[in-house]
Amino acid sequence: MHNNLYLLLSNLDHVVIRTAGCRILIWALFACLFAPVTSSAHLLNMTELHLDSTHPTSATLKIKIDLGQSLMTAEEYWNASTSDVQEQSIIIKEIADEIKSGVRLTVDDRSVDFELHAWSLEASSLEAIKNPFSPQMAQLVFDLNSTMPSEGSVEIQIGEQLEVPWPALLRMDHASSPLPISRLLTESERTSRPITFGNYLETPEEELSAKAVLAIQTLVPGLKWIALGFQHIIPKGLDHIVFVLGLFFLSTGVKTLILQVSCFTLAHSLTLGMATFGLVSAPGAIVEPLIAASIICIALDNLYSESLARWRLMMVTLFGLLHGLGFASVLSGLDLPRENFLSSLLLFNIGVEIGQLTVLMMAFVAVGWMRSWSQYTERVARPATISIAGIGTYWLINRITFI
Amino acid sequence: MKNNLGKERHAKNAVGILFVVCSIAIFDVAYSARNSPPLSFPLTGRASGQFPSNWIHGSKSAMDNTDPAIQVHAYNEHTYILRENKAINYEGAFMYLFFGNGVAMLIDQGSTSSPALFPLREVVDQIIRGWEEQHNQANTELIVANSHLHGDHYAAWNQFVDRPNTVMVGLTHEEMMAFWKIENYPQQIVTYDLGGRELVVTGTPGHQGSELAIYDGWTDLLYTGDMFYRGRLYLEDWDAWVSSIRKLRSIADRYPVAHLVNNHIEMTRQPGVDYPIGTTWQPNEPPMQMTLDMLDIAVGATNDIGSPGIYIYDDFLIYNQIPWYTTTDP
Repeated sequence: MHNNLYLLLSNLDHVVIRTAGCRILIWALFACLFAPVTSSAHLLNMTELHLDSTHPTSATLKIKIDLGQSLMTAEEYWNASTSDVQEQSIIIKEIADEIKSGVRLTVDDRSVDFELHAWSLEASSLEAIKNPFSPQMAQLVFDLNSTMPSEGSVEIQIGEQLEVPWPALLRMDHASSPLPISRLLTESERTSRPITFGNYLETPEEELSAKAVLAIQTLVPGLKWIALGFQHIIPKGLDHIVFVLGLFFLSTGVKTLILQVSCFTLAHSLTLGMATFGLVSAPGAIVEPLIAASIICIALDNLYSESLARWRLMMVTLFGLLHGLGFASVLSGLDLPRENFLSSLLLFNIGVEIGQLTVLMMAFVAVGWMRSWSQYTERVARPATISIAGIGTYWLINRITFI
Repeated sequence: MKNNLGKERHAKNAVGILFVVCSIAIFDVAYSARNSPPLSFPLTGRASGQFPSNWIHGSKSAMDNTDPAIQVHAYNEHTYILRENKAINYEGAFMYLFFGNGVAMLIDQGSTSSPALFPLREVVDQIIRGWEEQHNQANTELIVANSHLHGDHYAAWNQFVDRPNTVMVGLTHEEMMAFWKIENYPQQIVTYDLGGRELVVTGTPGHQGSELAIYDGWTDLLYTGDMFYRGRLYLEDWDAWVSSIRKLRSIADRYPVAHLVNNHIEMTRQPGVDYPIGTTWQPNEPPMQMTLDMLDIAVGATNDIGSPGIYIYDDFLIYNQIPWYTTTDP
């Protein structure tokens, strides 16, 4: 009787019934026809499955189930629980076979069989078994016929032919996982869906891409630090981008630009290195407004200088030292590895330089090709430089006010 | 002449720079205005809220019930209390949805699994969407947590497993404690930052061995789950419950408490009289929220009760270590 009720009700679950009245009406109709319903106080008779593979050489599946309210009648369960060991063993093995045919355990898409190893039957009285508010639970322990791999994917499914008191709580313990994994199986969702453990990746594509990343990492171990350095210019280092553009718009030729960028790079590498070793330090509240001020200085100099003065190179070098301190505060949060400290620092710097060069290349592509145009200074360089000075001024006000 | 040209150039440059500064400032202000300032949940003072005068409490005939499957009540703008329709499941379990900046926490998932009967995810998603619109928020993460590990409080848990941007705390003791960072259950008291909203969390076993109580410092609500409510307090471990109820009292001594809120109503308004187990219509049920005076009576009971049995108090019944099917029903 229970099986019929559950099958009919689970089919109903697939139909979205919008009003509570309709839902209740249909459910109640079936409940009246096929009672008794197995609900109990606080759903204490719900089914529990525990897949334990913490031991390297064996794995067990424990199932705690209210047999007297599901796979057996209350009387059958009472008889089983009060009969001698031999008779009980025959009855329980039949039930175990029913469970084995209804519960499908797959590991890495391969079906894994399990055999009944032990059981215990809780039964204080026939009345208690009959009463849905006093669940009398049976525990069946199955041994898996194979051990669980160190990594993989496992899925447990309760077939349509097996009706258990719902929902069914699944707990999985695996040697590779410090915490158990829980899932809830319901009448309409009878599978745990694949549960991965260890370093297993679900699809071959995922596995392939992870392997590719690992291979690149092995070949170029410092790639991560170069990427981080690059990211600290593009897109995170907006003030450094604006500063480098300030150097670009002095507009007196490629040689001049390379000279300035080289001085800037050497200088900020120096302070970055010294700051990382703890030799110099400056609070962000001072460094950040000064960086904004350096942008204004460069832009103003662009507006009033026709050529690269020697003192401008000194100024760029000084500002480089300042920007290096700004990078250092970022780098302190990156936790460079102790064993490869110097190489990581160097690679981070290389990433920063690649970022700066990328900014310059993009500027060349955008407007550099117009340099020979007679109106370039008035129509391109000057408006751009005024914008840079404006941005620097805004940052300066902002940083003084809010830092 | 040259001087004039120079002055004109200076002026043009200055105006240009000023124009850029003003433009960025206007853009910045406009952009900041688009993003609302973070929500604030100060611990000083009390964020007040309202309970409904009556909760929807089932109907004489479950078949004729036209109430929604889930009653949604906004206690205040960032705190929602949900109740499962008693006509769907007699437990009529309460669930709680707390909001913080960028995050919502759903505590408990009711007693019915079927999304057709009990569309909890749909309702929670509607609440979150409405809340996001009202408070100019987006991409709110949902944390699906539980007060304790009894099936009548997580039956609809499965509805959320494939929900995007969702953290499933888990249905084992270990997963729960790992999430809350409780290393020494039940003694340890931890604070949890729910997007700027401070929750004080501690273990309160007795009814069930993984139960938690949660104090919300913003509303001063003390959530006691199934270990203290207006109904039959089923205790599997008396000593643990004694410690838990005394700990709740010490929390109430340390923090201001507005109301004690919980998971069920099983009492009638008549002192010491409960509705029979399995009741699906409770027209005379009292409010869900409880008072500190009631907590004091429970603390007093810990000194009076010495053996298993049913102990009747005006606002709750203590079922101390007796089978669940034993009742006071006539």
